[in-house]
Amino acid sequence: MPEDDATPADAPPPPTPHDAAGADRTGRAAPSGRIWGLRAREGRWVRRVVPVVATPVLLFFAPHVYNNLAFLTTMVVYVVLAEGVNLLYGFTGYLPFGYVGFFGAGAYGASLAVVDWHVTGLVALVIGGLTAAIIGLVVSPLLRLSGAYFALATLAASQVLYYVVANEPWTYGESGMSLPEVFGATETYVIALVIMALALAVTVAVRDSRFGLSLRAIRSDPVSAAMAGIDVVRARTAAWFISAALAGLAGAIWAIMTAAFYAENPFDLTISVYAIVFALFGGVRTVLGPVIGTVVLYSLYQYIGISNPQYFELVYGLLIVGLALFLPGGLGSLVTGSAARWRRRRTRPVTGALDGAAPGGGTP
Amino acid sequence: MQLFEYAIVNGVLFGLFYGFIGIGLNLLFGVMRLVNLAHGDLVVFGGYLGYSLAVDAHINSLWAIPLSIPAALVFGFLVYHATVPRLRRAVDTETASLIVFFGISQVLEALMTMIYGANQVTLPSPGGPVSLFGQDYPASVVISAALSVPALALLYLYLYRTRIGLATRAVMADEDEAVASGVRVRRVAVWAFMIGVAFATTAGTLTAFMLGGINPTTGSGLTITAFTVIIIGSLGNPLGTVVGGLLVGLASSLSLTQAYATEWTAVVPYVLLLVVVLVRPSGLFGATVRRA
Amino acid sequence: MAHRPYRITTGLAALVLALGGLATLSAGSADAASAHAKAGTITVGTLYASTGAYATSSMPEYAGLQFWAKQVDSHGGMYVAPLRRKEKVKIVAYNDQSDPATATSLYDQLISQNHVNVLVADFGSVLTAPAITIAKDQKQLLFDVTGSGTSFFTSGSNPYVVLTSLPVSAVWPKPVAKLLIQLKTKRVAILYCQNDFDQAQATAIQGFLKAAGITPVYFQGVPTTQSDYSTLVQSIKATNPDAVLELGYPNNDIAFLNELKATGTHFKFVLTPFLGQLPSLFTQDVGAPAVNYTYTYAVPPTLVINHVNIGLGLTAFVRQFAPGKPSTVNFLDVAGYNAGLAVQAAFAHATSMSQLGIRAGITAVNGKLQTLEGTFKVDNTGEQLGELLPVAQAVPHGKGFALKIVYPATPAQVKMVNAKAKYPAPTK
Repeated sequence: MPEDDATPADAPPPPTPHDAAGADRTGRAAPSGRIWGLRAREGRWVRRVVPVVATPVLLFFAPHVYNNLAFLTTMVVYVVLAEGVNLLYGFTGYLPFGYVGFFGAGAYGASLAVVDWHVTGLVALVIGGLTAAIIGLVVSPLLRLSGAYFALATLAASQVLYYVVANEPWTYGESGMSLPEVFGATETYVIALVIMALALAVTVAVRDSRFGLSLRAIRSDPVSAAMAGIDVVRARTAAWFISAALAGLAGAIWAIMTAAFYAENPFDLTISVYAIVFALFGGVRTVLGPVIGTVVLYSLYQYIGISNPQYFELVYGLLIVGLALFLPGGLGSLVTGSAARWRRRRTRPVTGALDGAAPGGGTP
Repeated sequence: MQLFEYAIVNGVLFGLFYGFIGIGLNLLFGVMRLVNLAHGDLVVFGGYLGYSLAVDAHINSLWAIPLSIPAALVFGFLVYHATVPRLRRAVDTETASLIVFFGISQVLEALMTMIYGANQVTLPSPGGPVSLFGQDYPASVVISAALSVPALALLYLYLYRTRIGLATRAVMADEDEAVASGVRVRRVAVWAFMIGVAFATTAGTLTAFMLGGINPTTGSGLTITAFTVIIIGSLGNPLGTVVGGLLVGLASSLSLTQAYATEWTAVVPYVLLLVVVLVRPSGLFGATVRRA
Repeated sequence: MAHRPYRITTGLAALVLALGGLATLSAGSADAASAHAKAGTITVGTLYASTGAYATSSMPEYAGLQFWAKQVDSHGGMYVAPLRRKEKVKIVAYNDQSDPATATSLYDQLISQNHVNVLVADFGSVLTAPAITIAKDQKQLLFDVTGSGTSFFTSGSNPYVVLTSLPVSAVWPKPVAKLLIQLKTKRVAILYCQNDFDQAQATAIQGFLKAAGITPVYFQGVPTTQSDYSTLVQSIKATNPDAVLELGYPNNDIAFLNELKATGTHFKFVLTPFLGQLPSLFTQDVGAPAVNYTYTYAVPPTLVINHVNIGLGLTAFVRQFAPGKPSTVNFLDVAGYNAGLAVQAAFAHATSMSQLGIRAGITAVNGKLQTLEGTFKVDNTGEQLGELLPVAQAVPHGKGFALKIVYPATPAQVKMVNAKAKYPAPTK
């Protein structure tokens, strides 16, 4: 996407002080090569293990701070979804507008398994994840598309799936299902946390593996990646399946929490939109970004909902507009000051050059 | 057979309207790669304007069309400057715009609820049934469809008969090349944005007629319909949007005549979209097939 | 690369901060909870939807409940049997924006943070569903106002849910079927929206009719989002029906009637469910001439019940609820008020302040309570069995229309019948 060259007003040079700060920070950290007194090699393991373990542990104690398990479980479910969006969009560049389809499929599979086949809770979770993965397989031809075409085609697919579940008597989705109690409220929360830990572990693994590297290569330029020997289709499909299964697990635990399956709820498009907004707001291509984005925005959502319900939508909408416009790199960029820069450098090596050329290179 | 004919005519009438709804959205996407999730809400806002005129000012709601255009242009100008320059600098304009316009859509929905309440509002029918090919159609639908045609024609004239229209099409085809050949992208973008918003609100004045009524949540469904229409007819191709609208209108209308298909009416546009993009990944009128 | 570990520490710091924000959340709501503990009031937790799909119905219902609380407090509170004294009532309400996920966490908020004494659900099955689950899970008594989804009451006996208004969807259309049989209609067309509420009615009517040897000539579902009824009306017309039942939500009913109006289509018998519940909305959106002769379920305030043993009778309610503007009162206002009365009755006869003790209060008055909605009677799943609805028809009345009861559902309602069904409907 080229910048708006001809119009300096719209495209000022990138803020150089910002860049300098980033470099400075890099400079400070780099020479020592040590973090918390650890060598680089150990530091790498810290980076891998800490987010995966510390996040669920911290959230495990959240009920002592704010004892509303329905809210907390839903929030953790959103964290899983946001990480799923992160895997798919952050690492492959595919924005899944219809991501809710997998969530709904997971909720549906798990509900049916509990109500009809009387399986145990954990089996129901696995069935939920599998259902979503199977749906992922069915709709995988959509990966041939790109950009907005892909985003909206997945949306269409999720809606088709919704109507199939909601319209047909044989799906049991028509009149809704009431689930018996599978797990207690605390148990449900802990299981949601375990699913979240799994999502975080997968994200870390993808980030640090050759697989993740190839995904990023594909994202920046699929043609060169293919020429470099990466199996583009396979790598993409793998990320797609992982992401689908995660959403399926999230949907399954959500269905178990709400203990009722009404097709319009788990297939509600706003779930997709929220997961995407949370992930982008926190910052994709990082591990903790989606977590922070979800925790902050969903807590705010709850806070506004409780304290000032009258202007709820208005305040929330303005907040999202403001944050997206003034913190485009997500909250991550606020925290580190260099996330956006890092991201640009990683994924779009040419951008820096373009940005630099912008003020001078305009055509009158 | 009579029913079949009725469904065809009805489908065409609705198809024209869908094209009208989609075209403003396509302009924004084609020129600036903006995913305007607030499009449907802008449409509904136009509808409420018409409602206000009819109910509070006691004049024909169709006066909302000339009255809403300047207001929409000003509104578009303001929103453009508040959001677009920043969005265009974002790493990924498409997704950044998605979030921003999602927020704007929430704000618009909230404002409409505050001003007009959450209840469905309807407009009095502009007249008795209109006879077309021997069958009666609601006047509201016929008039709305009839007004969609000159609107679409005007946009065609803008794009194909004016200098700025030529520049707009150049940007839609390839922004780099357009810049290289001296097109002033920003001017094109401002106008495209303003016109896109104006088309949304103008189409909106007809929605209360076409949909039987509007409420503040009508917008999100319209946004999805509009996206479906423009994807089928290819992003960035205004003519394709008209064809996409007609296809969606016809398919939906025909499905309502078939036993067992009525419950699937809402799915028809989505299935159509999936079939089209799987056969032609860039829509029916996409210039080039995108790389896989 | 080397600066990345830095970002994890700061990232986790941000997470801790966010959790701190959560603490603020609970601090804010702790006020409400402690207020309850100190003042010794009875707190009733509820949700409403100021925006979104259910706002039209949710807001009047909430207004009715608020009116009840105000009434009770103006009489010095309501009697609480286990405490042997009157207590003031406080309503704690949150806005769920018609979103079930939000509703879930807000119901939990009411129980876990506000420690409300009893819970009153938001309007309709979709927003009630999460409350049913939480009520069961947390053993919290829930007064379900209008969430009549069939799946709520099928899973064995559940002491924690009480449906206060309307029988379940599968029961209440019985009078409609009986009326159709009485009118000797042979060709019945049923168009329903695909949601729990309408679908259950459609299937029930189809069953009743089939038992009488009438097979509907048209039986089709459409999505609840359907707004274009033109082709559908033509399809129905092609079947040449004696009676047309359009079972939808308010927006569907309005769109359908407007379509008939715009195309000048005339059917001998048309029924829409929500005309009876929201007559003023139909006057505004469809207009009286086009509404005339349409059938609907007669609900209060059309159904006037003044013989009560708790709260206000219907006429008094209408007068006090909206002084000078009786036409603005709709069924959902009554339903909200009626839910309050059920709460009041439960406390007046509760055996203890525990949730089951309060439920025992309901058992004590079950079948004996006469409210402005009729006899209050629930079974052991909490399902409402009383309050059967007669059928009414809109007839011209001055510039507008009036709803006249044409067919009773129960023997007690026979004397309420105040008009004979005008069938076939005169052309307008």
